[in-house]
Formats: sequence, C-alpha cells, structure tokens
Amino acid sequence: MTKTILKAVVGLILLAALLVVPRYVESPYALHMMILLFLSVSQGQSWNILGGYAGQYSVGHAAYFGVGAYTTMMLMHSKQVVPWVGVWVGVAIVIVVALVIGSICFRLRGPYFVLASIAVAEIMRLSAINLTTLTNGAEGILATEIPAFKIGERVITDFLTKVPFYYIGLFLALLTIGITYWVQHSKLGYYFQAIREDQDAAHSLGIHITIYKNIGLVISAVLTSLAGAFYGIYVGFVDPPTVLGLDVSVQIMLICIIGGMGTIWGPVLGSLLLVPLSEALRSNMITEGLVKVGLVSADSRVGLFLKENLAHAHVLLYGILVVLVILFMPEGLMGFLKKLAPRRNREAV
Amino acid sequence: MAILEIKSVSKFFGGLAANSDVSFSVEQGTIMGLIGPNGAGKTTLFNCITGYYPPSRGEVIFDGRRMNGLQPDKVCMLGMVRTWQKVRPLAKLSVIDNVMVGALAHTSSLKHARELAMEQLKVVRLEHREDFLAGGLPIGERKKLEVARALATKPKLLLLDEVMGGLNPAESEEIIQLILDIKAQGLTQMVIEHDMKAIMRISDRIVVLTSGEKLTEGTPQEVVSNQDVIDAYLGESHA
Ligand SMILES: Nc1ncnc2c1ncn2[C@@H]1O[C@H](COP(=O)(O)OP(=O)(O)OP(=O)(O)O)[C@@H](O)[C@H]1O
Ligand SMILES: [Mg+2]
Repeated sequence: MTKTILKAVVGLILLAALLVVPRYVESPYALHMMILLFLSVSQGQSWNILGGYAGQYSVGHAAYFGVGAYTTMMLMHSKQVVPWVGVWVGVAIVIVVALVIGSICFRLRGPYFVLASIAVAEIMRLSAINLTTLTNGAEGILATEIPAFKIGERVITDFLTKVPFYYIGLFLALLTIGITYWVQHSKLGYYFQAIREDQDAAHSLGIHITIYKNIGLVISAVLTSLAGAFYGIYVGFVDPPTVLGLDVSVQIMLICIIGGMGTIWGPVLGSLLLVPLSEALRSNMITEGLVKVGLVSADSRVGLFLKENLAHAHVLLYGILVVLVILFMPEGLMGFLKKLAPRRNREAV
Repeated sequence: MAILEIKSVSKFFGGLAANSDVSFSVEQGTIMGLIGPNGAGKTTLFNCITGYYPPSRGEVIFDGRRMNGLQPDKVCMLGMVRTWQKVRPLAKLSVIDNVMVGALAHTSSLKHARELAMEQLKVVRLEHREDFLAGGLPIGERKKLEVARALATKPKLLLLDEVMGGLNPAESEEIIQLILDIKAQGLTQMVIEHDMKAIMRISDRIVVLTSGEKLTEGTPQEVVSNQDVIDAYLGESHA
C-alpha cells in the first residue's frame, strides 16, 4: 500500500517537472531532444501493445507511421486542412489500412506474420514513391507553415517555438503510456497475453483469436499514426524513406525490444537509451569525444573515417545492440532491472 | 439425456484414418473414459469435438446443437472445454492470471474474474501458488492448473486429456479425487487415461479406441472382461 502511494508521489513529481521544463529550459536543442524522446516513447509504446502484449511482431509499423504523417501533411499542404483535423483523417485511413493488413497477415503465424508485415509496409513505401500526384513521389512534401491554433479569436499557440511541440509530444507519450496501462489492467490485456503465450490454449479458453489480434493491431496502428502525424508536422517534411522506410519499422520495434516487451516502462527505458545514442551518432559526438580525449586526432585518417561513417552507422550499431540484448537481456532492460531488484519468491523450486 | 453425441466421426490425415466412423454418446452428469493404445486417435477425437479440426465425416452434437465447423472459442463459450495432454501453461503469467483468463470468458470485470479464479484454485488446491509464474510450476501442479483454468470457463462438459500422465501415484490419487469431486458437482466429463486402474475407478462407461476405430464400449466391468480388449489393448499385462 505504502508502495503504491510512493509510486504515485514519484509519478506526480516527475509529471510536474516535465510540465514546467519549457519554463526553465530555453535551449531549443534540449527541447528538441525531449521532443524526440516523447516521440520515441509513443512509437515504442504503440508497438508494445501489439508486439509486447499480444506477441505479434510487426516489422511493418512504418506503414501506420507513414500514413499518419503523409495524410496530415498532404491535407495541410494541398488542401489547407489544419493538422489537428487532418490527423483524424489519418487515423480513419489507418484503421482501414490496419484492418486490411490484419485480415491478410493474421491468417499467418510467427515468422510468416513478420514477413507479411514487412511486405505490406514496403508496398506502402513504393506506393508513396510512385503515386506522385498524391504524394509528390520521392521528393516528399515540405510544409513548414502551420496555421496558428485558435479557439474562437484567441490564439492558443502559433507554433513558432518548440514549446507547443514539447507539450503535444508529452501528451502523446503520456497518452500511449496511459493506454498501455489500461490495456494491461483490463480483459483485453489478459487476452492479448494469453494469445502471446499460447495461441491454441487461448483459443480453447473462449478467446476469439482473430478479433483480439485485430483489436490490438488497430489500437497500436492508431497510436503509431498519431506519432507519425506529430513527426511530420514537427519536422515539416516527409518523404518515403524517412517515414515509410524499413528502418523506421525496425527502429520502432527496437525501442520496445531493448527496453522490455510487454511492460509499461520498457519503451520508456528503451527510448532513454536509444534517443541519446542515435543523436550522438548522428551529430558525430562520438568522434568529437574521441578527438577530445586524444584517442584519435581530428585530421588523421581514422578521425576522418569515423567522421564520415559513424553518422551512418546507427543501423549497424542497432543491429549489434539487438544481438547483445537478445543474448544477455532477453527480456530487455526492464527484465534486467527486475532481476537486480530483490523480489518476492515468484518461481517454484 | 445425452449431452454429447458423436455420430460416425472420421478424421483423415492424408491417407491415415486417425478416427474412423466413431460413434457413442455421453450422458449428462457421467464420466466417460476414453482409452486405447498410443496413436489410437484419442487426442484427435478431442480435437474434432472441440473445434481444432473439422471432422472429415460425421457429426458432433453437443447439448442438442451441431458443433461441426465451430471454432474452439465458440465451442468453449457453448460449454465444452478441454485440457491438453502436453500441458500449455501461459508460462509468463502467474498462476492466478492463467485461471483468470479462463474466468474472463464470462465476465469483463477483473475483480470478478479474480474471485472466480481463486475459487477454482481452491478446488484444485493450488491457492498457495497464486502468485507463482505458471511456467515455473512442477508438472503435477501444471496439470492441476490446466484443470482449474478449464473449470473457470464454467463448462458443461470437461474433456481431460491424460491429466495423470507423468504424475507419481500420490499426485494421480489427488487428481482422481479431484475428478470425483467435480463429478459430484454435477459436471459431465470425458477422460482420456492410460492408467487402467484409475480409469476403471472413475468412469461410468468406457469407450475403447484402436487404430482410430471404436473397438467396444461399456461399463468398466464389461470392458475389462471383453476378449477383444484383452487381446488388442491390455494384452500381456492383464493376461
Ligand atoms: N495433425 C496431424 N497430422 C497428421 N497426423 C496426425 C495429426 N495428429 C495426429 N496424427 C496422427 O493420428 C494418429 C492418432 O494420434 P492421436 O494423437 O490422436 O493419438 P492418441 O490416441 O492421442 O495417442 P497417445 O496415447 O499417444 O496420446 C497418430 O498416428 C498420429 O500420428
Ligand atoms: Mg493423445
């Protein structure tokens, strides 16, 4: 009991701190990092509901991310539909897409489901490249002018700084965490986990497998598309590789796998690890660091090589990370932490 | 009144007839034993009855309703539930959560499901394992968990596939008592078992399968004194 109270207090303090961050932190870069973190949490958490709880490993979540991002951006760019309306059009489309994908892919189990999910996302990516009239093809859509958000005549925000994005991102992250919490504490979560643990056993206990898998997929896809829309608007640009690429799908999945699947805090931990890591790689911080401590000199061949290539190495590094996690922490960071903490005697001897 | 009627059920896997023209019926409130050598088609018959395979021929009538073509979840909701010869615990869920999954068939409230689950855990005497991970239980307790989870779905007919398989005599005795207790509650059961002494004790009637066909059917006394059964199945051990 006291533990629950303690948890609630810590949670509230953390929440309050997150709410006031933009008041005290002015550095756009710091806010940017926080926004990326929120985005990552929402992505990982969305995947978690289907992959972590229901055990359906989709490697095609870029499809939903991309559709959310593209729909919102296309509507804003060519039809002047404001993003907070466009995003719901995206959601509607994603529900249809998810149900179509579900009706095809959920006939398949295990590795076949994985392959089918990749194939569908690739079809979406190729469509985005080729339906040039709709999507502007490989060039992508650039739309940085977001209309001010008004209620009546009052301007709530004009999106000129990163602060509104910070709060939208925070809201999205909390929303996905909240929904995961709700799933875990409802019949839905029990049924998802039963399907994950043993589909045949679940079936014999009265669980309609296809319906529940599709419910999981729709929840997961809708949340992913919200993240996609948010990403598109925040960056102001979408093109096929950045929102529909296979590496987007892999990244979404890794956040959850590395953090710990089927746990509420797994995707948060995964994001806390992966976001700084990929940022460090992208901005060449690692090379600079090595130069600073004198391990390599900046204009030596090694230094130049690292500078050239490390930024592109994040995919490789992710690969290595996954191997390490699977080998040493098969239940992700969460599982690893749980093992460290003293706990009740949960396993029979 | 017959709660379950198997009418000329056949099941073919390619050229193999795992069940061939099997017919019998199970009376409400009784225990029907199902015996036969390895590979006789006992588990296959359970699979045909509970919707895992559609029978190739014949009909399954449960509670007056034709079951052919219904999926296992629907079969469960209509009141037939089975356990698995090779146990299938939801390994990473706790014991109580496993049973709750069964109980959730008839409620959406976790609180209610937990209460129902706890009752069933008490029935199988597994309440002290409530918080343990199902995957970590020893085999005897996993078998009991299978039964508790199935009971939690509130069946009218419980199908047990070798719940005593792999258990020591003391554990088997517990299961026998459990089956008799369940019968006393009025629940109809169909029990696959290799242990002849056990099946004789608990069954009201027994069906004998060999090579997919029904060899004979009768009371335990009739079955053990049947010369075909002695020849085909019991063989030397009872000679
Ligand atoms: N899915 C399947 N595909 C092909 N053959 C199968 C399948 N399931 C069962 N069989 C075959 O059907 C026959 C009957 O198998 P079944 O498992 O029903 O026997 P059983 O009586 O339960 O045996 P045991 O006592 O060993 O459990 C066996 O020859 C088996 O190999
Ligand atoms: Mg069998």
